Amino acid sequence: MEQGFTMNQALAEASRCLLCHDAPCAAGCPASTAPDVFIRKLRFRNIKGAAKVIKERNIMGGACAVVCPTHALCAQGCTAAGLDKPIRIGELQRFIVQYAWDVGFQPLKAGQPNGVQVAIVGAGPAGLTCAAELAKAGFGAVVFEKRSAAGGMLQWGIPNHRMSREFFAHELEDIRSLGVEFRFNTPVETQADVDKLRADGFAAVFVATGAWRCTTLDVEHREGSGLEDSMSFLVRAKDQPDAVRKELTGAEVLVVGGGDTAMDAAVSAKRAGARDVSIVYRRSFQEMPGSPEEKQAALDAGVHFVILTQPVDYVIADSKITGARVVRTRLTTEDASGRRRPENLPDTEHVLAADLIIEAIGLSPDPSVRKLDALTIGDGERIVVSEGQRASTDLPLYAGGDAVSGASIVVKAVRDGKAAAEAIRKELGR
Amino acid sequence: MTQYKRLETTFLGVKFENPVMLSSSPVSNTGEMVGRSFDAGFGGVVFKTIGAGKEKIIHPGPRMAGYNYHNHRLVGLQNVEQISDRPMKDNLDDLAYLKKNWPTKIIVSSIMGFTKQEWRDLAKASEDVGADMLELNFSCPHMTVEGSGMKVSHAQALVGEFTAEVKNTVKIPVLAKLTPNITDITETAKFAKDGGADGFTAINTVQALSGIGLDDYIPRPNVAGKGAMSGYSGPAVKPIGLRCIAQLAQAPHLGLPLSGCGGIENWIDAIEYLLVGSGTLQITTGVIHYGYRIIEDILEGMDLYLEERGIDHLADLVGKAVPNIVPTDQFDLTSQGVAEYDQDRCVGCGQCYIVCQDAAGQCLTWDDANRRPVMHEDTCLGCMICSFVCPVSDPPMIKYRVVPGKSEILPPVSR
Repeated sequence: MEQGFTMNQALAEASRCLLCHDAPCAAGCPASTAPDVFIRKLRFRNIKGAAKVIKERNIMGGACAVVCPTHALCAQGCTAAGLDKPIRIGELQRFIVQYAWDVGFQPLKAGQPNGVQVAIVGAGPAGLTCAAELAKAGFGAVVFEKRSAAGGMLQWGIPNHRMSREFFAHELEDIRSLGVEFRFNTPVETQADVDKLRADGFAAVFVATGAWRCTTLDVEHREGSGLEDSMSFLVRAKDQPDAVRKELTGAEVLVVGGGDTAMDAAVSAKRAGARDVSIVYRRSFQEMPGSPEEKQAALDAGVHFVILTQPVDYVIADSKITGARVVRTRLTTEDASGRRRPENLPDTEHVLAADLIIEAIGLSPDPSVRKLDALTIGDGERIVVSEGQRASTDLPLYAGGDAVSGASIVVKAVRDGKAAAEAIRKELGR
Repeated sequence: MTQYKRLETTFLGVKFENPVMLSSSPVSNTGEMVGRSFDAGFGGVVFKTIGAGKEKIIHPGPRMAGYNYHNHRLVGLQNVEQISDRPMKDNLDDLAYLKKNWPTKIIVSSIMGFTKQEWRDLAKASEDVGADMLELNFSCPHMTVEGSGMKVSHAQALVGEFTAEVKNTVKIPVLAKLTPNITDITETAKFAKDGGADGFTAINTVQALSGIGLDDYIPRPNVAGKGAMSGYSGPAVKPIGLRCIAQLAQAPHLGLPLSGCGGIENWIDAIEYLLVGSGTLQITTGVIHYGYRIIEDILEGMDLYLEERGIDHLADLVGKAVPNIVPTDQFDLTSQGVAEYDQDRCVGCGQCYIVCQDAAGQCLTWDDANRRPVMHEDTCLGCMICSFVCPVSDPPMIKYRVVPGKSEILPPVSR
């Protein structure tokens, strides 16, 4: 993970801020983290006050500072861009949060206990935010997580080079210090599990199980080693870095896809010692959904970009992947997403050799969420919610994060967690 | 090294190849150092103040503290450094070394005696080793020897007495270096003039407290657990220096040449000091911040300015602003105006709106939909505060426009 700002660098950047009367950055944050307020506080050297603003409004303020696509959110409307370039809001936010960690300033306090217990299913950013908000309001918040640690995508999906586990551990400690309890290796998957929670005295349940299911390419030959989905690879790279390094040193890797997950996988593979890592994407560089920062990071890492190229099948020999059969594409008219549709070009088929192919072409909620009978499941296996993240008209069930939105960004999960906690507080608070 | 014909000047009858000198301070502490400053382009030096050596001089540790504004470092500098702690002979030898090796550079010996005899001895010794000029240090605000430095200026009669002692001893010209830490700098100057001074140097450092430790309650610099109200210098004091030079230039009872200093670090500062009446200039803090090399751009910048203005001799510029500095009761109050906005260049930060609401006449409203200020000229005070905070300053998008016949704007009674 790169070094953040020093104090003087942060103050210098903050001094570029125009301290707008009606700051567009504030409106750009889904979690209402109030960048206009925390930058002003930093500017006037009230750094603890700035940390308080961030953490009170966004318990995941440290992680968001690092992983947020700020160019599309807070920094998008930055007035300073009218003079030169937008304020580096993410870096400032990270500096402030880290400052509080460094000096041991804990701005949050648990609320006066109200005796009401709420179960949170899933310890990703949505679940963690909901739990923390409830703990601040005096609720007993217990997080049930089927994996062995908290954080969800932030724990396993974001590579170390973007956010280290040491950094993220501080954020989890902030949450734990509010009295949030965790039950790891404890899946809550069926309606019976939920009913039992309610019988055990949990007055409400917030479901935030995320979107971990990887979309696969629909091709004829998939059965062989050396084909892996993005999440499986990213989890391995994070949990078993030595094994992955041993496996990839000198290897050729193809990453299929053009989003941030593809960039993360490609850079992780490159950093693990792969000789050549190629991102294979069917449209143009500009149309890749990955954020400009992550695309640049991949370029800087030496990742190759094989654009306007569509895999049509994999090549397998002795039950092992040896490459991808691809064709060239050309862009035609715009599709519903406003991007130009790729069309395969005839007589262009060729093989790209690979020791490992990583598919990073989309994530969605796991269909197993259908086992929760009380929920309504919509398109893309997404849980349907109404006002206040309410997921059932009969039962006190709430849902949020990627399980509701489909694969999205952390700060939107934070927003959902806050909204659900607020609704639960209104309904059940004493 | 480039020679600039336009920058040659004569001051107190002494010919300078350019008017910029090191002032008496750590930057002019030894012959070797000053020699390098001459090679860099300085036209002269006021050497680090020499004492007679009877009082032991020990510099406090640490002796300086920087004053920063936001991320801008050394906007000011506070120090408690004393006069030279070297033996008098070493300093005199260095003066001779400089005169011998850089004969075209001007050597000013800054001296500080603690008795009339010492003032005489120091003056004579300096003249004997070839100093071109003397500067009498009546103005150091933080001498650890009681009754010296600025304290002399506070007992004003002593300024006259010591100046007279020196003038009766030497033939070379004598500058009196004055302190701004006094109600009226021209009063002290008058005592020096009556004692025979040939000109004045101003300003010495401004007595100040530049910072207090929040953890230990100790002023900076923290000298073994205590701090002192002591000399403050650098860009932060330039406005005070300009004011003092202008006061000395305007005082009808003085009329002597001036050597200006206080916060000069570029050619613009230098020209401003000339315009308010300085015939020569002196620099310390700029060198402490950037080194002797700053002289290159000061000289070149001054020369290019003179060329652009068609001025052949720097002396023609000295004091040009003095007639334009008047008491406020001589202002033409019939001329009034408004702030004029070039809205096309506005970026929409709204800082003008905030300050107009909170510090001015509330003549702006805010267009929420378009994120732009809306000017109502009929209530604009013309105070221009908005233009000071507007980030579109290059060139300014808010300018002052005189409105002939504009009537007085009085805020209504609050209801």
